[in-house]
Amino acid sequence: MTGATTFRDAVRDALAEEMDRDPRVILIGEDVGPAGGVFQQTQGLYDRFGPVRVIDTPISEAGFVGIAIGAAMAGMRPVVEVMFGDFLTLGLDQIVNQAAKVHWMSGGQFRVPLVIRSAVGVGGATGPQHSQSFHAWVAHVPGLKVVYPSGPADAKALFKAAVRDDNPVIFFEDRMSYGAKAPVGGPEDVARLGESAVRRQGSDIALIGIGRMTALALEAADRLADDGISAEVVDVRSLRPLDVEGLTAALRRTHRALVLDPAPRAYGAGAEIAATLQESAFDWLDAPVGRLGMSEGPVPFAPALERLVLPDATRIVQGARELIGR
Amino acid sequence: MLESSEKTELWRQMLRIRRFEEQVIALHAEGEMVGHFHVYIGQEATGVAVMAALTPGDMIFSTHRNHGHYLARGGDMAAGLAEIMGRATGCNRGMGGSVHLADPTIGMPHTSGVLGSSAALAMGAAFQMQRQGARRVAVAFFGDGALEEGVALEALNFASLWKLPVLFICENNSEGAIGAAKGGYPGSIMGTERLTALPEAFGIETHALDGTALDTLTPALRDICARIAAGGGPVFVEANTPRWFGNQGLWPDLACGPLDLGHAQGTVPLPDGPDAAWFTTHDPLLRGARELLAAGVSQAELTAIDRAVVEEVAAAADEARRGPFPTEAEARALVFAGGEA
Amino acid sequence: MAELDQKTQLRLWRDMVLIRAFETRLQTLFRAGRVPGLTHLCTGQEAVAAGTCAALAEHDMIASSHRGHGHTLARGTPPGPVMAEILGRATGLCGGRVGSMHLFDAERGNLGTNGIVGGGVPLAVGAGLAARAAGDGRVAAAFFGDGALNQGVVLECVNMAVIWTLPVLMVCEHNGYGEFTASDEVTAGDIRDRLAAYDLPVEDIDGMDASVVFETAARAVARARAGKGPTAILARAWRFSGHHAGDAQDYKDDAETKAWRARDPIERLRARLEADGVPAADLDAIEAEAGARVAKAARDALAAREPDSAQLLQGVYA
Repeated sequence: MTGATTFRDAVRDALAEEMDRDPRVILIGEDVGPAGGVFQQTQGLYDRFGPVRVIDTPISEAGFVGIAIGAAMAGMRPVVEVMFGDFLTLGLDQIVNQAAKVHWMSGGQFRVPLVIRSAVGVGGATGPQHSQSFHAWVAHVPGLKVVYPSGPADAKALFKAAVRDDNPVIFFEDRMSYGAKAPVGGPEDVARLGESAVRRQGSDIALIGIGRMTALALEAADRLADDGISAEVVDVRSLRPLDVEGLTAALRRTHRALVLDPAPRAYGAGAEIAATLQESAFDWLDAPVGRLGMSEGPVPFAPALERLVLPDATRIVQGARELIGR
Repeated sequence: MLESSEKTELWRQMLRIRRFEEQVIALHAEGEMVGHFHVYIGQEATGVAVMAALTPGDMIFSTHRNHGHYLARGGDMAAGLAEIMGRATGCNRGMGGSVHLADPTIGMPHTSGVLGSSAALAMGAAFQMQRQGARRVAVAFFGDGALEEGVALEALNFASLWKLPVLFICENNSEGAIGAAKGGYPGSIMGTERLTALPEAFGIETHALDGTALDTLTPALRDICARIAAGGGPVFVEANTPRWFGNQGLWPDLACGPLDLGHAQGTVPLPDGPDAAWFTTHDPLLRGARELLAAGVSQAELTAIDRAVVEEVAAAADEARRGPFPTEAEARALVFAGGEA
Repeated sequence: MAELDQKTQLRLWRDMVLIRAFETRLQTLFRAGRVPGLTHLCTGQEAVAAGTCAALAEHDMIASSHRGHGHTLARGTPPGPVMAEILGRATGLCGGRVGSMHLFDAERGNLGTNGIVGGGVPLAVGAGLAARAAGDGRVAAAFFGDGALNQGVVLECVNMAVIWTLPVLMVCEHNGYGEFTASDEVTAGDIRDRLAAYDLPVEDIDGMDASVVFETAARAVARARAGKGPTAILARAWRFSGHHAGDAQDYKDDAETKAWRARDPIERLRARLEADGVPAADLDAIEAEAGARVAKAARDALAAREPDSAQLLQGVYA
């Protein structure tokens, strides 16, 4: 393990290591070059790898996501950055109609070893068009893989896994977690996609968190412990492939589950996880699988309201209690 | 040449924008507003000249850099500041913030933060104006970067094809940076030596104008808007404005201090150093002041105008501060037309 | 322009004849109800496919449009697997699962025909980016129609090919129609200007003359390989067939049709070859051979089984 690194730097370091290791890995995005990224997430990469491998693009998401796909089909292993997750919409045709399907359509002749990374999440008063996370949308498309790390160590190890995967992987980075610091792994510490992680063991309820919600779940678990409730916290980490076995095992241990999703509840990832759990472990359930998500509306700019958009530890505690009370 | 009295009034409107933006920067520095924001400093002449050419029924569509457009079009100053500060008394009831200032009552129905949108939205408004036989204009404001977005080009195609009454105003504040990424943050990345070649390719009447020269800009825009309203088809105007030095970094920076009329009045020595040209030549407020003084307007009059504007801004800021923050119930009620789904 | 050598001209003619035979046969099969779904024929546009592909080297790449049988065949994919794919048989190029609009051939650098208008353009430009990054001297050609020049993403890609000096040919097959609508009715300004607004050479050529297409493409390929960046080729052509095989073409003007048919690229080149002394019998033999190859491809495809259910989910992920 190397020393404490920020989430932001952990991804940057992972990318640098992968670019060192494999000359086919290139970085494409807006302001990723000399500017070092709008969130300083690619600092130093341009100086180290030069303009042929670190490419600044015009504001043309559809175009440069499509170009990255073509480059992947022609032998490169591109990492494309879409500045805000909200702008994935601009490249969605390329992602859904091309990248996700090429391997299948070509009968396996072409692969798309592509990583699309994007900064998402509520916070910093960035407003309704700069705060969304479409992980459910892309997880819904066969052919895509979707990853959502919660902390620096996972960010690094999962990013490396994403780069080494031969499929298109959408990598979500909660930008409000960019400053979080923790020890991270070395160059060959590569995670496996499709694995969740138990962050805290418990026996009364499983709090299943996606991204930032995991940290909030840990906070809630501490408070529940004060009331004699033993909450397990599971970090989803990979939405597609989903660790059905791991999540089911957690449910068998605790008999209750509350899914925490940093996106609107309706038609979200929480719905998929809840449905899957009740299918795989119905007889183990002592209560319906609960879901907490973001408010069902555009994210307000006003800080006083923005604060209310995501469930906080208090709401999670409340949600857990309601399920335990049944 | 503009009449002195008219030019003075236009200059005053520019000054209102300048002092407003300086106030926004101060509010941010003092933590009274949060979030990212973009200021219109250096581009005031363009916004003011365009609005002077419009009639009440016309509509404007702006970008993240919208404060100047909002004010010049007649947006309430206190409501603008309140919105930027996230208050329920803001023009968007605190839902959007700096990036999305809008007010349907002044013909500014919606402001998108996604580049290229303004062209598409303006086109839509123009389509409806044309169907209604209204002699009106829809204005799309955007920067030089927006032409990198495919949807902006698709909008040019539609506007030209259907002869829609659209005025495309491209405020190019990356002068000298077109053609390749050239230092500063950020430059335009366009594979064309002349940005105007793009609208020309769609058969659209195109002009490249000095975005800081009120005397030439205002009459030119009046003529253009009159012809558009009369059904002459869309027009594309590239308004060139030198980039304000405070826009070099990620956040607006009032490094050389607020506007000082003394620089125009000759009572304060001009700064030297790398940003000297801003004070001698580029600042449209100083340029306008110098021209007015040369035309016989007194220093005292300009100073008086400034004082009044500064007071107006301060009063607006106070009013904005008194506004309550919006409630969750208010936000939820706005999600769907007709109340909650 | 100096006359193209006879060997190349014969090659071009052979490629065009094969495409024509293939498309003609396919039209018949479609009318007989043997082709599932929709297919888009390129009859009349053979010169663009043959001319461009003949100028590419073996390791170069192409990405095509929904009207891409010609590009695929001209690149060297044998008619058998192509026909089988279009007919949805397991012996098809991609297992018969995807059909006419998704013909991929990795061996021949074919990044696929595409069901999204303009969909192949980013892919080809991306392949150009890969070639530049790898420094391997490969060139990529993007085929698209005039309708695609109204797609924002296509212009975004022209811009990026220019600013990054990519080794790409942007080949616009301007056949005057986007589906059932005349290009003029939906395309503002002069279509050539749309490309010319960017800093790349635009070659506005007769797309019904295979020799002209070949020479233009060869120049563009040389430019690209020399690191001088992209070239746009606006090849003015005309499709004899409808937008799709079942299209009755009521929107086309009879006089216009007559005029373009008189410029049939195959008949024109044939006339030139015969005038240069190539015996008619030799040319007839080439046509017969193409006919025989296509006939065999059709027979084999019709006799082949359809893909089975196990193939439904095969290869969703690498």
